[in-house]
Amino acid sequence: MLRFLSGRVLGGIASIFGASILAFVFLRAIPGDPARLVLGPLASPQAISALHKQMGLDDPIYVQYWRYVSDFFSGHWGFSYSAGQSVGQQIGSRLPASLELGLWAFLFAFVFAVLLALLSTYRHRPVIDGITRALAFIGLGTPPFWLGLMLLVVFFSWLGILPGPGSRIGDSVPLPPKITGMLTIDAILAGDPRAFLSAFVHLLLPAFSLGLASFALLVRLLRANLAEVGREPFLVVVRSKGLGRWTAHRRHALPNAFLPTLTASGLILAQLIAGSVVVEEVFNWPGVGKLVVDSILRQDFSVVQAFILLSACAYVAINLVVDLLYGVLDPRVREGAAT
Amino acid sequence: MNANSQPVLSVKDLETVFHTGAGTVRAVRRISFDLRPGERLGIVGESGSGKSATALSILGLIEPPGEVVGGSVLLNGRELVGRSDRELGAVRGKEISLVYQDPMSALDPVKSIGKQLVETIRRHDRSISRKAARKQAVELLRDVEVPQPERRLDEFPHQYSGGMRQRVMIASALANRPDVVLADEPTTALDVTTQAQVLELLNRLVSERGAAIVLITHNLGIVAEFCDTVRVMYAGRLVEAAATRTLFRAPAHPYAGALLRAVPRPDRLERGPLPAIPGAPPNLAELPSGCSFEPRCPLGAGRPKCLQDAPTDRALGARHVECHFAEEQLKQEVTA
Amino acid sequence: MSVVSTPPAALSLDSHPPVEDAGRWAAARSLLLGEPAAAAATIVLAILIAMAILGPIVWHKDPAAIDVGAALQHPSWAHPMGTDSSGRDILTRFDYGARLSLAVAPLVAIVGAALGTVVGLLAGVFGGWFDTISMRAMDAILAFPPLILAMAVTIGLGVGVRSATIGIIITAIPWYARLLRSDALSLRSRPFIEAARALGATRSRIVRRHVLPHVLPTLLVQGASVFGYAILTLAALGFVGLGAQPPTAEWGTMITDGLQYAITGQWWIVTFPGLGVFFAVTAANILADRVQAVLDPRAGGRA
Repeated sequence: MLRFLSGRVLGGIASIFGASILAFVFLRAIPGDPARLVLGPLASPQAISALHKQMGLDDPIYVQYWRYVSDFFSGHWGFSYSAGQSVGQQIGSRLPASLELGLWAFLFAFVFAVLLALLSTYRHRPVIDGITRALAFIGLGTPPFWLGLMLLVVFFSWLGILPGPGSRIGDSVPLPPKITGMLTIDAILAGDPRAFLSAFVHLLLPAFSLGLASFALLVRLLRANLAEVGREPFLVVVRSKGLGRWTAHRRHALPNAFLPTLTASGLILAQLIAGSVVVEEVFNWPGVGKLVVDSILRQDFSVVQAFILLSACAYVAINLVVDLLYGVLDPRVREGAAT
Repeated sequence: MNANSQPVLSVKDLETVFHTGAGTVRAVRRISFDLRPGERLGIVGESGSGKSATALSILGLIEPPGEVVGGSVLLNGRELVGRSDRELGAVRGKEISLVYQDPMSALDPVKSIGKQLVETIRRHDRSISRKAARKQAVELLRDVEVPQPERRLDEFPHQYSGGMRQRVMIASALANRPDVVLADEPTTALDVTTQAQVLELLNRLVSERGAAIVLITHNLGIVAEFCDTVRVMYAGRLVEAAATRTLFRAPAHPYAGALLRAVPRPDRLERGPLPAIPGAPPNLAELPSGCSFEPRCPLGAGRPKCLQDAPTDRALGARHVECHFAEEQLKQEVTA
Repeated sequence: MSVVSTPPAALSLDSHPPVEDAGRWAAARSLLLGEPAAAAATIVLAILIAMAILGPIVWHKDPAAIDVGAALQHPSWAHPMGTDSSGRDILTRFDYGARLSLAVAPLVAIVGAALGTVVGLLAGVFGGWFDTISMRAMDAILAFPPLILAMAVTIGLGVGVRSATIGIIITAIPWYARLLRSDALSLRSRPFIEAARALGATRSRIVRRHVLPHVLPTLLVQGASVFGYAILTLAALGFVGLGAQPPTAEWGTMITDGLQYAITGQWWIVTFPGLGVFFAVTAANILADRVQAVLDPRAGGRA
């Protein structure tokens, strides 16, 4: 078990290094001279070459690479000249908003996926099954940013029942004391139902837009796994003990179907990271995704660089965690062979 | 076996079909039999004869695309066919239970043995505490001769051997002292030694608890040793019903005869090829109009009566048989 | 009659007689149209392709023609999809956007398949250091959420459709490579491959005649998925300003154009391009499922 673990960790580290090389290769080809960007178009050649030296752009490529990697892993992500803040500070201050959005998106996706997958498989119900499959296709084919816009058009413009883009909480609602930076959680911790409700309502549309793709992925996978497990003999035996269809399915089929579904976690995180970039833009949500888009527009690529490598780390990390979880959750792996 | 009492299980004209893309498969074609308290009834047939479908039909566990389309199943006098799943749930595992084949995949791999046994117990006794149920589960494991039951209670199915898993299944099936046990190929997936042990166990427990058992199998040897009465099943119908000794001494249906002849007999030491039954079982979606065994029947192949008229159940001495020429068959057996 | 006759058909390398063309057409027809969802998907794609090819010919408007006087008009007979903030006809821009997306998507699917197949097959067949290095490279690519890496490539190579396409291709290669490598590994030891080698077939012949037909279903299914993925990603890149650049008409950039007008009442500017993406991608996904169901039913659902 330990050997399996260390093998996977080493693999993960190798992936990160490979990813860093890739990121370095592509981002070093950034058009425009970073020094010139800092000093402006009127700078003298001497000033530019001096800044070159200072920024280390004269050094051989492998030295630059090493500096890039060591800087990243020691937390020195550079300075955002356009914002006057260190990149680390910028990302850090906006991370809670993105985390909150991602969390709720995942929650919606997960709950609805489990419910629908169970409903379509515990009994032979072609209608619900058809609806589920249709929803899955819709979820996979809808661009999240467009979905967000459509939802805003319908629920904000036409119906006026949900708040528009730009805020995380109602204007007149006082913020709960900041513990995590995630308004809904802070509201719960402070026992403030009004703040929670307001923050939640502001989260609805963006979280739904972000989560639909993950819902589609989850429901497809879970449904297929449930259908397969549902055909196993032990389900018949469980039913012969007197358990009803729903109970048998929920208690026995679901846990068995869950394990292989766990492997989709990495993909879902990738969807949430990529989706947050575009969804936050649509809703003007003050998270890391919006920061990235703004930085692209301002040609301030230090933020983008850090974000890119950060995404890779998160992705590799979660795949590692999933592998670990598998080993812990599946008794066949945990307890070893027959005695 | 009490010959005068009411049957504990009474199946009449049970009919089950499966709607598949290749047509409607008639898996169980109007089957009838009575099971008396404590009786051991064997159902023998090839794979595909509808044996498993019979057990599942009795329990009401046939799911779409299959459905039970006719007949009645009386358990302790109460009708089961047509009942809601909830009503049947009260009866399954309590008055009638199932021992399934293939212990490898018959237990939930991610739940401990103890949890699964406790689930059986608590399903039918909501008042019992988890602790008490666990104690009962330990006793059950002890009954079925699982060594060190307290320790093994919290282990998982993959940590048990095949034979022990089957014992657990038996324990689970007998946990609530059912009146009827349906055992569908309970020993098929086991090696011969374990088979004998498990059968011995089943024998003892069933007698101790006074349960009646329907033993479904393709293994004639088991039937001979274990069952009081036997039914022979072919293509969804029961073609012969008799006391075990009666059947084994002289089968009245040609199929039963062929089955018995096909069993290798170490005491006879004949030469030549094993007398296998030629051909294959019929396609249950496209059954011929006459006798379904006719194409393979040593007696009736090609005979006009067998081609045209499907035989119906009739009494012949102490047995029941579905064959036009059962008397001929018997005569053959006597002279053989 | 010579003693050495021609080898029996069973042992011949040409033992699979080519499927007749008539059979092929019937098979394709049943694949695409034989099931209601697949038929709908095929029709939708056909409509989009028709709009892309014929639209600009039949509907003679200039996608870049600015006419401020006609800005922000409702859909009408003159402008079935309305006009945007610069007065450009949206239907025309939709058609040109369709041209772009429906040209990039198959390009990505095919080039990605070609590169990925080469890498994967070679890695699986030859193994050794090539296998290790190429799989490490694939892992490096796969360490990124695909859109993020595509963004990086596009930024690095200079924004525009060309860089975006390259970026999308790069992200798609590992999917093919992984699949083909595992296919190659499993086929490597299969008896019929050994038999072919025993009969003296060259490696290229084996690959051509025995391996490729085997992996074709996999390639088709993955190709359809990648087709949809490419359209989505191109639109996303366009949306954040990294893909197609103005005044090029692309579904993603059209949505960006209409961003600020969407909630103030001019909903049509963002709706139609998004519908284009939605229909194209969903149709591709439905067909990917259909191809898999028909050609490779034993494989479970690939997430």
